[in-house]
Amino acid sequence: MSVHLNPDTCLACSGCVVHCPVAEATPAFLGPRMIGPAFERFRLLGIVEDASLHYCANCKNCEISCPQNVPVATINMLARLEQCRKTPPSLRDWIVAHGELLARTTKYVPASLRNWALGLSLTRLILDGIGIAKQCPMPSFAKEPFRDHIQRIDQAQGKVVAFFPGCYTNYYDPQTGFDLVWVLNQAGYRVLVPKDFVCCGIPLISGGFKDDALANATQNAKVVAELTKASIPVITTCPSCRLMLTRELAAFFPTVTKTYGNPNVIDAMDFLARLIASSELALSPNPPTLSALYHAPCHLRAQGEGLPGFDLLRYFPSLSITNLNAGCCGISGSYGFKKEKYAIGQTIGSALFHAVKSSPVSVVASECGTCRLQIAGATGKTCLHPITLVRTLLEGNGVA
Amino acid sequence: MKTVRETTALVIGGGATGIGTLRDLSLRGIPAVLAEQGGIAHGTSSRFHGLLHSGGRYCVNDTLSAKECIEENTIIRRIGRHCVEETEGFFALLPQDDPDYVPAWIKGCEQAGIRAEEIDVAQARLLEPELSSQISRIFRVPDSSIDGFRLVLHNAMSAQRHGGTVLLYHQVTALERIGDQWLVHLVNTQTKETTSIMAQVVINAAGSWSGIVAAMAGLDVPVSPDKGTLIVFNHRFSQRVVNRLHPGSDGDIFVPHGSITILGTTSVPTDKPDDTTPSREEILRLLDIGEPLFPHLKSYRILRAFAGTRPLYTPGSAQGRNASRNFQVFDHGSDGLPGFFSIFGGKLTTYRLMAERVTDAVCQYLGVNAPCTTADTPMIEEKPVERIQQAKRFFPIPDLSLLVDRAGDDLESILDNAQQRDPASPNSNPLICECEMVSLAEIAAIAQSKDTHSLTDIRLRTRLGMGTCQGTFCTLRAVTALVENDIKTANDPLTEITKFLQERFRGIRETVWGTQAQEMQLNNAIYCGVLNLNGQQYASTK
Repeated sequence: MSVHLNPDTCLACSGCVVHCPVAEATPAFLGPRMIGPAFERFRLLGIVEDASLHYCANCKNCEISCPQNVPVATINMLARLEQCRKTPPSLRDWIVAHGELLARTTKYVPASLRNWALGLSLTRLILDGIGIAKQCPMPSFAKEPFRDHIQRIDQAQGKVVAFFPGCYTNYYDPQTGFDLVWVLNQAGYRVLVPKDFVCCGIPLISGGFKDDALANATQNAKVVAELTKASIPVITTCPSCRLMLTRELAAFFPTVTKTYGNPNVIDAMDFLARLIASSELALSPNPPTLSALYHAPCHLRAQGEGLPGFDLLRYFPSLSITNLNAGCCGISGSYGFKKEKYAIGQTIGSALFHAVKSSPVSVVASECGTCRLQIAGATGKTCLHPITLVRTLLEGNGVA
Repeated sequence: MKTVRETTALVIGGGATGIGTLRDLSLRGIPAVLAEQGGIAHGTSSRFHGLLHSGGRYCVNDTLSAKECIEENTIIRRIGRHCVEETEGFFALLPQDDPDYVPAWIKGCEQAGIRAEEIDVAQARLLEPELSSQISRIFRVPDSSIDGFRLVLHNAMSAQRHGGTVLLYHQVTALERIGDQWLVHLVNTQTKETTSIMAQVVINAAGSWSGIVAAMAGLDVPVSPDKGTLIVFNHRFSQRVVNRLHPGSDGDIFVPHGSITILGTTSVPTDKPDDTTPSREEILRLLDIGEPLFPHLKSYRILRAFAGTRPLYTPGSAQGRNASRNFQVFDHGSDGLPGFFSIFGGKLTTYRLMAERVTDAVCQYLGVNAPCTTADTPMIEEKPVERIQQAKRFFPIPDLSLLVDRAGDDLESILDNAQQRDPASPNSNPLICECEMVSLAEIAAIAQSKDTHSLTDIRLRTRLGMGTCQGTFCTLRAVTALVENDIKTANDPLTEITKFLQERFRGIRETVWGTQAQEMQLNNAIYCGVLNLNGQQYASTK
């Protein structure tokens, strides 16, 4: 049975069309209002799916801008799941949606070898041939997945918090995870990284792999429920993972949330802000003086809970932090990697790239891994998770 | 100067029965003209729930009606493919319904030849998840939904292809018997010009107005208009027609149509055949009655409400639901009016049969021996699939099935219009009405056809302005597109906008709460605030 969302609350005001970065970048996309709630009325009638549905990047700017709380992008993704149930997605779509599976199954091949192989022009040409743009910067595999590594690190006994690292931190950017663990250790927390956590499923949803996404949703919801039952808070550093786990699960898989409840996963930045507020986490008396730019990921803004990472950074008087406020970076998970979407992604991100390049500040902080990859690729500047700045500010002794 | 034209048969009334009769006469080779006081299907044929009855609703009390329904249902699905959605229907028994009615209903279905199959309630609720969990029994029957306006339009197209003439906006003012002929006086309600038609036969198929027409010939006929109110919902919450399994009553039929769902009806006697204003009382009552079948009913957005009048034929003093839905064909020769025929009562599902019966009587009177072929002749000739495939790339939405179904004989001109637009421009044929997915080419082509005078005429043909926004966005877009494409309407553009929005609001006025109230606020902000359409804001502040 296919799931449909009631399209009744849409006023057709087209605010979402104005705020849709894809609609602005290409006329080939029918736009969020048409593909979303307007077309939904005809999906209920069984009309053939519109060809431009795949242009939706699931960046959620439509939902952010909607005055009526219409889940526009979710309607689109449900439609895509239905479409992919009828017509299986391509090999390329399978690859970009199953990054976790690929990383997991190849983890015993040395990272240096995998990165070397992926970096070969021949490999990029082959990937380009199946639809992964050769111009795109690719993330490099870490020597060892974060989750495997962290189990070997000794942490002092203390209050326990569970960390959902997400695929990007786990396979490509373990430093974000280590920095979080270091900061939480300072506050007297031992960080648990449950081995049972799997990909949050958002790439699987965007790619149209409903069964796989359902399996992951079930697994994650079950683990979060067990932890919550044991009064262990669950946090994540990835906005997209949090969006999926806390907001989207109920829309896509109501049976899962019915069984396990809505997973309560806290934004790690929010969690840290609370620790500072309760004096569990002490600020350094002599922090280094730093400057950084901040980019708010779309999936963070889509949660409608403000910008906890940006707010956290503002706790540190020695850090000069500027919110770029320059819109979507254009990568939207795997969207900008796709050959036919690459140019659209670059057009979408151009305002942000310009803002970054024209600033004298050389560091950009953003919670989202692929946003950082995209911005670093387009501007050459250093991009890191806010937690890394926090760690620098906490452990610093005046020397940056 | 007054013109007189001649024909063999003059049909009065451009609803399903009248146009169906014109088609039957034309297919039998009898020269015929039809006069309709408004636009196509301006009366009852476009003002009902759009249910092509299986007969299940009548099978207990009126086996004859039920038999006619199932036979005609089968025929219309065959000859009117473009007007019908083969949805099938459910009859659902709720705790408040009498379970003892069920055996009688099953027997009635058997007697009438209606295939009624009981299905597992859990299974049915998988098919229709919005249905109430309180339902204890469900039967599936071959109900379908039918677009009444389109049915009449396609009948008219077929009739015209076979030589019939349709005069829209022609009101009958008088009937005269001259020799062995009838002289019918008409006035064009748009131009006020008068014409007369000399005919051997006059057929009164004026539906709710048939009593008035009969009176012009000096007859006193018991036709009582009976008002029914219906609600249009913004989305299709049911894929099937859903009926309550109980004796026919108010508010117990849900019919999905394209993107919307209709709930109806009420039954209130009225003395005016054009009493088509829905009342809030009736709307609220319909919601109360409909809620047990669909428990979330009151949370669904209502687009509008409308009303129509049933032309009940009421010899004796039966009224409302007790009055027969049967039809009667009269040869008024026995009343001293040779060549004057009337058709009273009936329902849309059996329109073709009514047309056949009255045409049989006319043929007998004229001494013409020609068999009826309307049951075997599709109304619209199918276009080659390749032609439609090729045209797809000229449209903003690749699925042209909705367009093909509603366009009828005008499909060719719409496809041509789309193809003639600049292929280099990616947006040469944009959607003008996004809610109902109507493109510029469709609007432009229909606007240029001879029976189109206004945005409302375009709306009826294309569904422009009939979706979620009810004209909030598409009215301005459509008028702008017409001006840019140099297509004239009867009124200047500003008047056209005002009239169109007022017509839309007439159906919204009584249901303007919840999201639809927000929509109307937006509508008001755009047309009265930004565009200052009512022109009074400045005057009052000065």
